[in-house]
Amino acid sequence: MPFPRQHLGLIATLAAAVAITTFGGSLNAYYLDVAMNVGIAIILAVSLNLVNGHTGQFSLGHAGFMAIGAYLSSACTLRLAPALADASSPLLAQHALFFVALLLGGFTAAIAGFLIGLPSLRLRGDYLALITLGFAEIIRVVFQNTPALGGAIGLNGMPPLTSIAWTYGWVAVTVFTISCLINSTYGRGFLAVRDNEIAASAAGINPTRYKVVAFTLGAFFAGIAGGLFAHLKLAIDPRGFDFFRSVEIVVMVILGGMGNTLGVIVAATLLTLLPEFLRPVAEYRMVIYAALLIGLMLARPQGLFNVRLGKSRL
Amino acid sequence: MSAPLLQLDQATIRFGGLTAVNAVDLAVAPGELRGLIGPNGAGKTTLFNLITGVYAPSSGTLRFADASLAGLRPDQITGLGIARTFQNIRLFPGLSVFDNVRVACNLHRTTSPLHTLLRGRAFRADEAAIADRVDALLTLFNLDRFRDAPATSLPYGEQRRLEIVRALATQPRLLLLDEPAAGMNPSEKVDLVRLIREIHQRFNLTILLVEHSMRVVMTVCEHITVLDYGVKIAEGTPAEIQKNPRVIEAYLGEDHTAKFGHH
Repeated sequence: MPFPRQHLGLIATLAAAVAITTFGGSLNAYYLDVAMNVGIAIILAVSLNLVNGHTGQFSLGHAGFMAIGAYLSSACTLRLAPALADASSPLLAQHALFFVALLLGGFTAAIAGFLIGLPSLRLRGDYLALITLGFAEIIRVVFQNTPALGGAIGLNGMPPLTSIAWTYGWVAVTVFTISCLINSTYGRGFLAVRDNEIAASAAGINPTRYKVVAFTLGAFFAGIAGGLFAHLKLAIDPRGFDFFRSVEIVVMVILGGMGNTLGVIVAATLLTLLPEFLRPVAEYRMVIYAALLIGLMLARPQGLFNVRLGKSRL
Repeated sequence: MSAPLLQLDQATIRFGGLTAVNAVDLAVAPGELRGLIGPNGAGKTTLFNLITGVYAPSSGTLRFADASLAGLRPDQITGLGIARTFQNIRLFPGLSVFDNVRVACNLHRTTSPLHTLLRGRAFRADEAAIADRVDALLTLFNLDRFRDAPATSLPYGEQRRLEIVRALATQPRLLLLDEPAAGMNPSEKVDLVRLIREIHQRFNLTILLVEHSMRVVMTVCEHITVLDYGVKIAEGTPAEIQKNPRVIEAYLGEDHTAKFGHH
């Protein structure tokens, strides 16, 4: 195996994303918008899957981390973008700023994830779900009451920097990072912690360390997704990151089959596309959406795909 | 006798008003195959949980290879060289047989988690070495034919064996076996005795064996320690233990003293 499979996937996705952004000027703006929504959903679901699926820690706080990324990156670009108008190459400077802003949001979310990871180690199941839910609500309420961040109105007027290239670039990085981690001797430790914590520590695994890594990394990518979301919608407010947003991401993970990265990607895609397809039925849209969800859960309670155990690959 | 590998000094643990392990002294010499027996609820598994750091002792000290075990987490204790199996089998049901053992190789990984992203030469060499080690262990214990099957799909006896293999993959010096014969039929028990003897010799291990099956304990162990209500009531060779009146009383009550020898 001269060149790892994962690296090929990463490079191919990056190249395709850049190509579409560069040469796809004539593509329908609506389709592009939906495609970016799908990409953001994939980042959110795959990163939550590391926590809920692979490590088995039921987190209901992903929207909180997303909010941190959205607000911090927006604050960053709103403040600094005007200053870049005089730069010799404004477009390049803007995108460089965007990159820094996304990382700022991602790393701040990661710090928050680390902090929530610490107390959560003592709790499991429903209790952990409640703690993470409470934590996400605290984040939301803090943003709602910070005038510098727009308070209840939120932030708007961000430069429209999110593109197919940025979105799918980060999709590629997220999927690459998490699948590389999981497909290794080290990464099997996440699954061991999920399956039996006591046996995992008897096998020399430190469950605490693994949980903190999962929470931190999951939060980082949620923060990135939040930044992409903010610079796609160009207006954010605290209500966009409430409990229901978290549930939406959890549903993607459950429907995709906990711990199954491919299944989760498909589920995130379907659940983002479904409301678009249901636009013709207007007011009944969400009813049908919910009914389809119930139907899917009844038909495939183990998730859309359940091929967790295959041959062990490097 | 050489310095003990495992030494418990007045080890005690209380849960509320219940003293599950009461001032137990225990010294296990390197290379020994020690049996630990006692009636149900005598505190044998609790003693295992004390040694492996699942519980912290209320008082007393535990030392392994001249290092104190105080305040160490279970994974750190495993890292020092104490591995264990569980009374109720604890495999990773979502993982294959191969991965169940592979997880236990993390202590001896030579590359960091960051290497998983780069997938460079060092990482691939490390993963290949681990895979070779796991496959060798599986072959040795005749589990290679189940390599990619889910661990919990194995027959009961094979699951017990897999748990022992997983413990061995951590490269321990001391192996704690918690009722490995539980639920086995007589012919499986014969195989188990052979297996325990074999790993004792091949891996140069010290073994502490909790077991209810007298047949297994009396055949395989050189020394036996007996617990009752958390207190150590006897210690000696199988022959001595079989004749010890306190042991017979603990197991059968006073009136049945004569019958114990035929068990």
